[in-house]
Amino acid sequence: MATLLQQLINGLVLGGLIALIALGYTMVYGIIQLINFAHGEVFMVGGFASLATYRYFLPPSWRSDWWLALPLMAIGGAVVAVVLAVVMERFAYRPLRNAPRLAPLITALGVSVILKEVVRLGYPGATAPVPFPRAFVDQQYRFEFFDGTVSIGSTAILMIVVSIIGAIVLQTYISRSRMGRAMRATAQDPDTARLMGVNPNRTIVLTFTIGGALAGLAGVLYGIHITNVDTEVGFLYGIFAFTAAVLGGVGSIKGAVIGGFAIGLIKTLSGQYFPGGTQYDLVWIFVLLIVVLVFRPQGLFGEPERVRA
Amino acid sequence: MKEWNEYPDGWVWLGQILLVGAGIAAVVLLVRLLWRVATPYLAERPALDRPLGIAGGVVAIIGALLPWVTFVLNDGPYPDKATLQFFDSPWALSGFRLHTLIIGVLAIAVVFLPLPRRRVLRALGWGSIGIALVNILFPIIDGGGFGAITSDGESFAFGGIATLIAAVLLVFAAKAGGVLEPIPHWKSAVPTLVAYAVLVVSFVVLLLVVAMLLNSGGQGGVGNPYAGPIFLSLLAFLAGVLGALHAIGLTTWISALSDKHKWFSVIVLLVVALALPFTEAGTDYWMTTAANIGVYAATAIGLNIVVGLAGLLDLGYVAFLGIGAFVAANFSGAAAAAVGIELPFVVAALIAAVVAGIFGAVVGSPTLRVRGDYLAIVTLAFGEIFKKAAQNNIGGLTGGANAIPNVPPVSAFGQPFDQPLTIGSVELPSGVLYYVLIIVLVALVMVVFANLKNARIGRAWIAIREDEDAARAMGIKTGQAKILAFLIGAMLAGLAGAVFAHKTSTVAYDSFQFIESVTLLAAVILGGMGSIPGAVLGAALLLVLPEKLREFADYRLMLFGLALVLIMRFRPQGLVPDRHRRAELANEGAEGVPIEELNVHDDTPGDSKAVTR
Amino acid sequence: MTALLEVRNLSVAYGAIEAVRDVSFSVGEGQIVSLIGSNGAGKTTTLRTISGLLRPKSGQILLEGKPIDALAAHTILERGVAHCPEGRRLFGRMTVEENLQLGAYVRKDSGVAADMQRVYELFPVLGQRKTQKAGLFSGGEQQMLAIGRAMMSRPRLLMLDEPSMGLSPIMTQRIFDTIKDLQAQGTTILLVEQNALAALALSDRGYVVDLGRTTLEGPGHDLLADERVRAAYLGEG
Repeated sequence: MATLLQQLINGLVLGGLIALIALGYTMVYGIIQLINFAHGEVFMVGGFASLATYRYFLPPSWRSDWWLALPLMAIGGAVVAVVLAVVMERFAYRPLRNAPRLAPLITALGVSVILKEVVRLGYPGATAPVPFPRAFVDQQYRFEFFDGTVSIGSTAILMIVVSIIGAIVLQTYISRSRMGRAMRATAQDPDTARLMGVNPNRTIVLTFTIGGALAGLAGVLYGIHITNVDTEVGFLYGIFAFTAAVLGGVGSIKGAVIGGFAIGLIKTLSGQYFPGGTQYDLVWIFVLLIVVLVFRPQGLFGEPERVRA
Repeated sequence: MKEWNEYPDGWVWLGQILLVGAGIAAVVLLVRLLWRVATPYLAERPALDRPLGIAGGVVAIIGALLPWVTFVLNDGPYPDKATLQFFDSPWALSGFRLHTLIIGVLAIAVVFLPLPRRRVLRALGWGSIGIALVNILFPIIDGGGFGAITSDGESFAFGGIATLIAAVLLVFAAKAGGVLEPIPHWKSAVPTLVAYAVLVVSFVVLLLVVAMLLNSGGQGGVGNPYAGPIFLSLLAFLAGVLGALHAIGLTTWISALSDKHKWFSVIVLLVVALALPFTEAGTDYWMTTAANIGVYAATAIGLNIVVGLAGLLDLGYVAFLGIGAFVAANFSGAAAAAVGIELPFVVAALIAAVVAGIFGAVVGSPTLRVRGDYLAIVTLAFGEIFKKAAQNNIGGLTGGANAIPNVPPVSAFGQPFDQPLTIGSVELPSGVLYYVLIIVLVALVMVVFANLKNARIGRAWIAIREDEDAARAMGIKTGQAKILAFLIGAMLAGLAGAVFAHKTSTVAYDSFQFIESVTLLAAVILGGMGSIPGAVLGAALLLVLPEKLREFADYRLMLFGLALVLIMRFRPQGLVPDRHRRAELANEGAEGVPIEELNVHDDTPGDSKAVTR
Repeated sequence: MTALLEVRNLSVAYGAIEAVRDVSFSVGEGQIVSLIGSNGAGKTTTLRTISGLLRPKSGQILLEGKPIDALAAHTILERGVAHCPEGRRLFGRMTVEENLQLGAYVRKDSGVAADMQRVYELFPVLGQRKTQKAGLFSGGEQQMLAIGRAMMSRPRLLMLDEPSMGLSPIMTQRIFDTIKDLQAQGTTILLVEQNALAALALSDRGYVVDLGRTTLEGPGHDLLADERVRAAYLGEG
């Protein structure tokens, strides 16, 4: 029982992380029908940027105070991720806005490869996993549960809390604010949204900004939780998050969050209980992805897809 | 690699990045400004093409004779190599200086000849931009800053800069008048013997050029870091000349002739390809590389069926190469093979193709329900599942992290394929037999592709690519056709995998990762989707360039990514576009009108645009 | 006096296909002007070009004498041209209220709530069901919402594309009555209709568009009486 509870907790933590990334996928897809392959790499860059903030920008005396260092790291990671996402939109995707559908997808693939390589070659020591500082927020809470001990770290709690708060804030923003309405209108019918006076470019940039910020935040949380960051994680978590977004229904905020938690739980539970163990946990996620795409491509909460030439 | 604490304060570092970024942005803006000002100015002055062309040609000749920064091969570390070549031996120029001189002479000549001069000048201009940039940027980047181009103390290397100016003049000459001349049409109704002669000469020239390219600058590597720039510079020159030949209608003519005498061309091409080992490129090294190119080219042609013809994006394609390789390895009699049977290569290769084909059909089956970019994700997932399964030695068939080592070489008539071959008194390098095998394989795959493309099924695929719903409405069984595309494509990859297994002798899961799928896709897209020569050219470029640019090996993947982005942006139809191809990527004819406008809107109450798939 | 909107020799192409070849007309302040013509004549393309969704290949579009053909769609709306597109094009997954709020997207003044109230008074059915999704409404109700939405930007020129399409005769009459009311309140209206009879009866001026060209023009009642118009568009021989 303790193992099960422990794996459930681990799954929720992982799920929170995946959900934060999945939100970016789902929003961008909802608005321009692009699978932004490079979004996973934005998350990875966010992790490295927050680490760089800590190492190269924070004065040494600030580094030991987590309440000072952590928010600044989060800001550093999110700012870089946002800048990256916006630059990417402007120079790689926008020129292809009216191109046939394969073109932006292949471009996204190219951008993703470029980002990964730039970090791998450009960040000092990034050819191997780079350790994250672990001096702060590293409290472990343990408690007895039936037949064993279950532990949960403060970073784990932070991850779950941030992802849920993030999703609620986002959902409220999108359903209540003027810009949120504009985003939904552009997603449903871009031309008519333009007739309402919505500037599509501004709306799309805002979408990339929000997605980038959440991915950057996810990068920081990943770093302090796993205590290192690696250029490989962008691709891997990108796929997880994409699966989560598809599972929940692309375009749906609620779907991305529930999908994220579902993927997290599937990964930890299949790693624990399925044949092959953690060797094959990724395979189960991919199998799920294929099954969902084949049998319910609109996902759990999604609307049927809009056609685009 | 520096330790982090050796780095300066982050702010300094950030400042440097911003500074470099600003510099690049400034250059880009300046070039665009120049372009925006010059283009309309020149468009109204058609008479300027001659003077600009002559000026460009003269400056190019002068540039070729001025001092350049260059390097003496294999002679000490960089700064010592950076010697200035002076105006010492004007009639004994070689390398890029000779190329520049030729371009200059050609440019002046074309101005006075009854040819489409603007087109020719445009090609020559872009060629010399390439030459100049390679030879200016390389000393700067590799030699450590702008100091490198003033290598001899007080003397300044003007040659490269003069050539760049010449190149800009030539490109501007082509802009005069605003429109290019039509490409002249040469009569393709010539006597058969003349046509044969032309074809033989063209293919032999092609062979010699390829051999020269491969050998230019020698073999890349630590000992010879200059192979890359020499190769790139020659490539730019050849591209310029080829463009010029295209401009005067020659290449179109030859291609029309080869279309007319298809079988003759195929045979000559095959003979010419088999003759490569007898040229200066006939070394162990190039035979091995060429065989690798062949494996990738055959796989890329297979992928081209799926992506180029049927328009289905596959991001896990390398898995089929892997399946073929593992099947062949298991039937090869290697000690680590799980299957104890040793089959002759041809049988094993056929089984590999069939198994890969079955997996192809399985992977393709979601296409019945999944479309577009979701399908790309499904194929990516399959690719990752394959990798994970192979990594974990599934069923004991893949050797897991240990791989399947020591796969014996293919052998025929007692001659193992990895040994040198002696015919009469000519000793051919080792690997030549694999080269021959792979040439035969590529030829076979090309024939399969060409026949399928022109058959009913090929037209069905193209119809699906252009508009799946319309294709279905016309009575095409789209599901069957799509699965068939995956099946056949995978079979071709499986066949290539079998050769790969024997050639490399160790089959390991990590040869078949996502990035290899991206490489294959890049080969197809670079060459031109749906085009056979395109896939071969793409695969060749993507494998030869890293060999030549060894010292940039770290940047290989980054450059791949960049290539994908740039091609999609500026030349989505690829280097050798498929002639019959219309729309999937080449957005032709639209004058800034959004494609969405052409949609038919279905106006019923409720969510009017809900579409079932 | 310069007209509120003037279109001169407009031509618009989709790739190689010219949908509009040579369309010229003008709309005076406070008028109702209609463009009539058969399906595919280029009427909708003309409206989409005026509102900035498409770019003209050649020709001019002037609003109060100033060219607007190079402006972005949202800027044109800010200058006071609202476009109620063909087939309503409501945001079906949003509520009535949200649709109206989007109509007022560019407005920053405080009169939005009052204007929304006015739309609800004009079309009581919308007021009663303002929290329901727009996709659930009938065709006529959707058309009311679409007109209401376009009104929310307080346009000086309202362009209506086929407001009667798919509606019952009674509903069509209500919509046309509303258009008349809007004019009475000072809005200039450019109407595109296939229902030439109803449109011309209402219009101060009419233009016949055929194969991408304006072929006939005149006051609404004159055109109604014109034999060529009657033969071609009113089903009379």
